[in-house]
Amino acid sequence: MAAKSDNKENSMVGVVLVTHGSFGETLLEAAKTVLGPQENCLAIGVDVNKGVDETMESIRSAIRSVETGKGVLALTDLFGGSPTTMSLSLMKSENLEVITGVNLPMVVATLQSRAMSLNKVAEKVKDAGQQGIKVAGAMLRKKGKK
Amino acid sequence: MTLVRIDNRLIHGQIIETWLPYTGAKNVVVANDELANDVLQQEIMSLAIPQTVRSYFVNVEHLAEEVVQLQAANDSSEVLVLFSSCPDAKRAFDSGFGFEVLNIGNVHYSPGRKQVSPSVALSDEDESCLRQLFRKGVELDFRCVPNDPVQVRF
Repeated sequence: MAAKSDNKENSMVGVVLVTHGSFGETLLEAAKTVLGPQENCLAIGVDVNKGVDETMESIRSAIRSVETGKGVLALTDLFGGSPTTMSLSLMKSENLEVITGVNLPMVVATLQSRAMSLNKVAEKVKDAGQQGIKVAGAMLRKKGKK
Repeated sequence: MTLVRIDNRLIHGQIIETWLPYTGAKNVVVANDELANDVLQQEIMSLAIPQTVRSYFVNVEHLAEEVVQLQAANDSSEVLVLFSSCPDAKRAFDSGFGFEVLNIGNVHYSPGRKQVSPSVALSDEDESCLRQLFRKGVELDFRCVPNDPVQVRF
């Protein structure tokens, strides 16, 4: 089935990973290993030894550089952590959604659903993150018993 | 008072994941003049605090009276107080908010500051504030998270 062609092919939700240390960068690299090269996505590591204002500016400029007019999804690690808090503070000035608890299934889902609207991407990514967590060994054992 | 801490990031992961469970504090008081007047930022910072813990945002110089009121109203002395800087802690102390131990958790580096631990870099002003508090009998505790080794650096 052919996908309906869209004139705004370049228009996609921008993606920024905002995490403690180099976690986001490594996660994005892993996602690119799975999916191949990706555009308009960046990872910002929050260095706790730097000031809050300086870090906020680097997050802001990352968001602006991946914005193509459809908004930006910020994937952060810990709910309540400073990468999340700083991202939330930028909702005032940017067209931004913030989703916490980032894992590889979430990054993969984000990069694959970026043609949708920002709200829809966020919903899809939340589901992908939750569904990506399985006690896979137990599933396998259960299957073996059947 | 359960814990009085200097942390330039105020409420963040280390507070929520380690200091709150460790101290059992049921109230977090952020003493910061900027935040006391920024409701949106207060909401953002309080978003991930457990529902059993209350948060308050007050001006540094009103801290003493606010904490007295809070303890009277809540029938609880379990309060975790956060300052974003050494001068703020000194200012609160001088305006009547007494404490015996001061935890110095995160004070970020910038040029001209002296790194005294992995998470603490002090300016001359910071050092002078801490020395004055120390001379008034305040014990200084340089732990970033509760299970850091306790080290005396003053």
